[in-house]
Amino acid sequence: MKDWLSRYGPSLLVFVVLLAAWEFATTNGYLKPYRFPAPSKIAMGFVEIASEGFPEDLTIWVHTRTTVGRILQGYIAAVGLAIPLGFLIGAFSTLEKLTAPLIIFGRSIATLSLLPLVIVWFGTGELTKVVLIGYGCFWTMISNVIAGVKYVDPVLIRAARTFGVSGPALFWRVILPAALPRIFAGARMALGVGFMVIVGAEMIGTVEGLGALIMEARNFYRSEITIIGMLVIGIIGFLIASGLLHLEKMLIPWDTGLDEVRR
Amino acid sequence: MSTDAGFIELNDINMRFGLPAEALPVVLQGIDLSIAQNEFVSIVGRSGCGKTTLLNIVAGLVEATTGTVTIAGNQVRGPGQGQGVVFQQHALFPWLTAMGNVEFGCRKADISKSEKREVCRQLLDLVGLSHAADKYPRELSGGMQQRVAIARALALDPEILLMDEPFGALDELTRIELQQELLRVWDARKKTVIFVTHSITEALILSDRVILLSPHPGRVFKDYQITLPRPRIRTDPAFNAMYQEIWEGLSA
Amino acid sequence: MSNRISAKDVLLGGIGTLAVLVPWEIAARSGIVDPSIFPSPILAISSAAEKLSATEVLDHMGWSLFRVFSGFLLGALAGITIGIVAGWYRTAGYLLRPMIELLRPIPPLAWIPLAIIWFGLGEPSKFFLIFLGAFFPVVTATYQGVTNVDPILIRAAQTFGLKGIDLLVRIVIPGAAPDLATGIRIGWGLSFGVLVAAELIAADKGLGYMIMHARLLGYVDVIVVGIVLIGILNLLTDGMIAWLIKKGIGRWHEV
Ligand SMILES: Nc1ncnc2c1ncn2[C@@H]1O[C@H](COP(=O)(O)OP(=O)(O)O)[C@@H](O)[C@H]1O
Ligand SMILES: [Mg+2]
Repeated sequence: MKDWLSRYGPSLLVFVVLLAAWEFATTNGYLKPYRFPAPSKIAMGFVEIASEGFPEDLTIWVHTRTTVGRILQGYIAAVGLAIPLGFLIGAFSTLEKLTAPLIIFGRSIATLSLLPLVIVWFGTGELTKVVLIGYGCFWTMISNVIAGVKYVDPVLIRAARTFGVSGPALFWRVILPAALPRIFAGARMALGVGFMVIVGAEMIGTVEGLGALIMEARNFYRSEITIIGMLVIGIIGFLIASGLLHLEKMLIPWDTGLDEVRR
Repeated sequence: MSTDAGFIELNDINMRFGLPAEALPVVLQGIDLSIAQNEFVSIVGRSGCGKTTLLNIVAGLVEATTGTVTIAGNQVRGPGQGQGVVFQQHALFPWLTAMGNVEFGCRKADISKSEKREVCRQLLDLVGLSHAADKYPRELSGGMQQRVAIARALALDPEILLMDEPFGALDELTRIELQQELLRVWDARKKTVIFVTHSITEALILSDRVILLSPHPGRVFKDYQITLPRPRIRTDPAFNAMYQEIWEGLSA
Repeated sequence: MSNRISAKDVLLGGIGTLAVLVPWEIAARSGIVDPSIFPSPILAISSAAEKLSATEVLDHMGWSLFRVFSGFLLGALAGITIGIVAGWYRTAGYLLRPMIELLRPIPPLAWIPLAIIWFGLGEPSKFFLIFLGAFFPVVTATYQGVTNVDPILIRAAQTFGLKGIDLLVRIVIPGAAPDLATGIRIGWGLSFGVLVAAELIAADKGLGYMIMHARLLGYVDVIVVGIVLIGILNLLTDGMIAWLIKKGIGRWHEV
C-alpha cells in the first residue's frame, strides 16, 4: 500500500489538480464550455448516456457492444485467415519470395483509403465496416506470422532433428511454440489497427457504435459526449490489449514479452 | 587518516544497499586497505562477495554507507578524480567507433584536436588496434572490444586503473594475450591497478599483491604479497605453491 | 540476419505479382467480373487518365504530402522533446506520464470530432490529427529508449567525468536512438493512415478527397488508381525513412 502510494501518488495528485483546474477554468469562463466541457459536465453526460442513451435509446453500452462486435468479427476473420496462410508462406521460402511484394504492398495500402471502394462494392452497411477492419488486421497479422515462422532459430530446428523430430511433430513441438511470441505481438498490433479503423469506418452510414456516437454528438454540439466516447474507446482498447497480454503470459510463460516498440 | 598513508586508502568501508529500514544484508564490512603507488593489486573472491561494489566505491560510482576512500590524500566524492575504469562487459559506446570511444576518454581541454587524435592513435597502437580505429564495437571481437575499453580508460590518463573482471568473458588464449598486454601497458605507463578477478592464476600472473575477500559480509580475509620474479611462469613450482596456498585460503 | 535481396528474389516476386495481376486483367476484360465495379489494372489507369489530368493528380498528391510531412515533423519533434524530458527528469516524468498514458490508447481518428470542435473543418484540424498520429508512438518510444539506456554506459561515462546535460546529450540520447527510430517509423505509418481519413471527412484537396469525390461521381477507376497511389506513396516514404535511419544508425546498430 505504501509502495503503491509512493509510486503512483505524485501522478494521481497531478491528475486531480489538473481536473480541478479544468473545472475551475470552465465554470469561471476562462475556457469555453463547448470546447472544453467541464469534468462535472462530462460526468453528468455519462449518467445521461448510460441511462437514457444518445441518440435516444442508444446507451453507451449499446454503442460499446456494437463497436466491439464489429471489431471482433473483422479481427477474428483476419486472424483466422492470416495464421494458417502465414504459416504456409513462412515455412516455404519460395512461397515467401513469390508473395513478398504483394504482402508489402497490401500492408502499405492505407486501410481507410479503401472506404470509397468498399462502399461501392458492399454499400454502407455492416459488411463494409467488418471488411475494412478485417483488411487492416489481416496484413499486420500475416506479416508477423510469416516473420515468426521464418525467423525461428535454425539451431532449435537442428537440435530437434538430432532427436529425430520431423514432419508434423517438428511443426507442433518446435516451430509453433518458437513462433508464438511474434504471433502474439502481431495479434496485439492488429487489434490496435482494428480500433483505429473502426472509428473511421463508423463515421459513415450509421448512428450506432462509438465512432458514430462521437461524430453524432458533435453534430448536436454535445462535446462532453464526444469526450466520453473517446475515453470509452481508449479504455476498451486498453482492456482488450491487456487481456491479450495476460493470455499471452498464460499460454507462453517462457516468453519475455516482445514489445510493440521493438518489433 | 592512518600515519603510513598509502596512495589509495580505504578506511573502514561499510556498505549496505537500500534504505536502512529495508534491512538488506551487509555487503561490505570494515574494509581497510592501503595501496601503494604503482602497485598492482588483485582482489579475488567468490561471486557475490562484493568485489564489484568495492571497486565502484573506489571509482566514486557508488557511495559507501560509512567510511572513506582517499586518493593521494584527497577524499573520493564522485567519479572522474583520476580513476579509470574497465568494466566486465566492455561498456563501449556502440555509436562511436573504436577511435571515437578512445577520444571520448581523452578529456584534456588544453590540447588541440589533432594532438588529441595523435594521443588516441598511440593508445590504439599500444593495445594493438590501430588497424581497427574506424570499426564500431559490434564489428569487433570480444578481445578487441576489451582492448578498446582499456585504451579508452588509459586515454583519461588516470593514475589509477580499476578493472572489474575485464577478461572474464574471453576465451583462454585471448585472455593470456591480454594479460601480457596489460602488464606491458602497466610497465610502460606506471599505473596503480586494482584488478578484480575470480581466477587465482590470473591474479598470480599479474599482481604484486592478492587480496582475498570473504563473502557475507565481504571482508578482507587474506592479503598475500607476491614476490615471485616477473615474468611469471605458470608451470614454475613456486607459482604452483603460491596457487595452492591461495586456493587453501579460499576454501577455508 | 541478412536482408539482402537477390536477383532471384526479385524474379520470384515479379512472378508472384503477375500471378495475381494477369488473371485479374483477364477476368475484367473478358467480362467475368463487372469492370465498372472491378476495373482491370491497365484499363483503370487509362480511363482514370481521361477523367483526371496529371497536374490535378500531382496537385492532390502535393497537398497530401505537405500535410503529412508538416504534421508528422512537428508531432515527432514534440514527441522526442517530451519523451526525453519525461524520461530524464523525474519530476517532469511524474507530471507528463499520466497524461500521456491516459490519452495514448485513444486512436488518433477518435480525435476527429474534437479536432473539428477546436479547430474547425480546415487545415488546422487535419494538422492536429496527423500531429497526434506521430506524437504518441514517438513519445512512447523515446521515453522507453531514454529510460532503458544501459546503466553500465551511463556509469562508464561518469567515470570520465560526464554529468548533467552532457550525460543526456552524449550518452542517453544516442543510446535511445534505436528505440526512437522504431517509434518514428510507426509514427510515420500512423500519420499516413490518419491523413487519408482526415481527407475523407472534409477537404477539397488531397488524395483522400480525390477518391471520396470520385465515389460521388461513380468513378471506380479513379478510386482504384487513388488507392494504389496512396499505397505507393506510403511505401516509398516509409522506405525513405528506413533508409535514412539505416544511414544514421545502421553501422552501429542492427536495424
Ligand atoms: N544495486 C544493488 N542493490 C542491492 N543489492 C546489490 C546491488 N548491487 C549489488 N548488490 C548485492 O551486493 C552483493 C555483492 O555484489 P557484487 O559487488 O556485484 O559482487 P561480486 O562483484 O563480488 O560478484 C550481492 O549480494 C548483490 O546482490
Ligand atoms: Mg562482479
